[in-house]
Amino acid sequence: MSLSDRSRVNLSRSLVVTGLILYIPSNIMPVMTMSIVGKVDPLTVLGGVHELYDSGLPLIAGVVFLASFILPFAKLAALAWVLFLHGSPALRRERCRVFKIIHMIGSWSMIDIFLIAVLAAVGQLGALASVRAEPGCVVFALVLLCSLVAAEIYKPRLIWEDTWITSE
Amino acid sequence: MKSLSTIGPEWIACPYCEAPCLARELLPGQELICSRCDTTVLIHIAKRSLQPPFALSLTGLFLLLLANTTPILTFEVVGRSQSDYMITGIIELCRQGYYLIALLVCFCGIIAPAVFLLCAFYLGFAIVLKMRPPGLKLASTIARAVRPWNLIPVYSIATVVAVVKLEMLGSVAWQPGARYVLGVAVMSILCEQISNRQMAFEQLKKMGVMKKE
Repeated sequence: MSLSDRSRVNLSRSLVVTGLILYIPSNIMPVMTMSIVGKVDPLTVLGGVHELYDSGLPLIAGVVFLASFILPFAKLAALAWVLFLHGSPALRRERCRVFKIIHMIGSWSMIDIFLIAVLAAVGQLGALASVRAEPGCVVFALVLLCSLVAAEIYKPRLIWEDTWITSE
Repeated sequence: MKSLSTIGPEWIACPYCEAPCLARELLPGQELICSRCDTTVLIHIAKRSLQPPFALSLTGLFLLLLANTTPILTFEVVGRSQSDYMITGIIELCRQGYYLIALLVCFCGIIAPAVFLLCAFYLGFAIVLKMRPPGLKLASTIARAVRPWNLIPVYSIATVVAVVKLEMLGSVAWQPGARYVLGVAVMSILCEQISNRQMAFEQLKKMGVMKKE
């Protein structure tokens, strides 16, 4: 399937807007519920970070905070900026650099989705321990998918659409 | 315009932004950088440079098979324990009705790494042994397409975070599968980093698989 440049830009813009809208509920809704020996604990993305920090694990909490909270938003915001300036000659080099960084680090925001899968796998001990995914994880996954697919659809060459700079 | 395609007798396209760059003979240690996006367009190619990615992809495939057939960790609470295989989480998410999440985990954690390593192995096998099995062009296209979705390194970090979280609730024991997951992550990162796309493209062109644009 081959998309035209106009379709690529429009589709990327739609996905970024959708991702930004879904980002808010993805951080309000619980992504999973952990029940350990009768103690039921619904966790949001930030709730999980808070729990890790409170348990004396600031480094791991920091990694999860960056990967699951900061990175999805930063990626969507950066993509929005790149797409907003599409067609304009302004800051082309900077946009290209930002887009490269988005490609390099963007997928790390999937850490929370894999975390749910690992916890759900071992948390099936009946009343002793259970881990259930919650609808919030679907919304969170959609945010990540929107940003990942938008970054894949929009090609770096589109940033330079009107220029034809040669190099040696 | 195809990446790294020959535009004219001396011009090639930047693999990232597709800017035309003037190609020239490079000495050892030299590389040609795209002037508009700073991507390395050409590097001096050492002989036999396609053998390491070929070996890495084969090792990665072998480790991926082991990672999927051995438990990664065991969680124990009040004398009852549960083991975690890569597939267990996917099955459990399906059982809970979260098919999208299960599909995403399955695709990014198992299918994409397997397809990427398989394609890299197939291409490396053909180029290193100078053979021309069918579907080389397709393998090259698929490898490029699945590369961004190969998230096994992220999966291995998520496993570490999960262990830290589970240790607060019960006892956790690492199992051999964890080493294999880490091994696949390292192999696929190394394979991506040292794969010489330029040389692979040139070799495929010589073998008549890729055509001059």
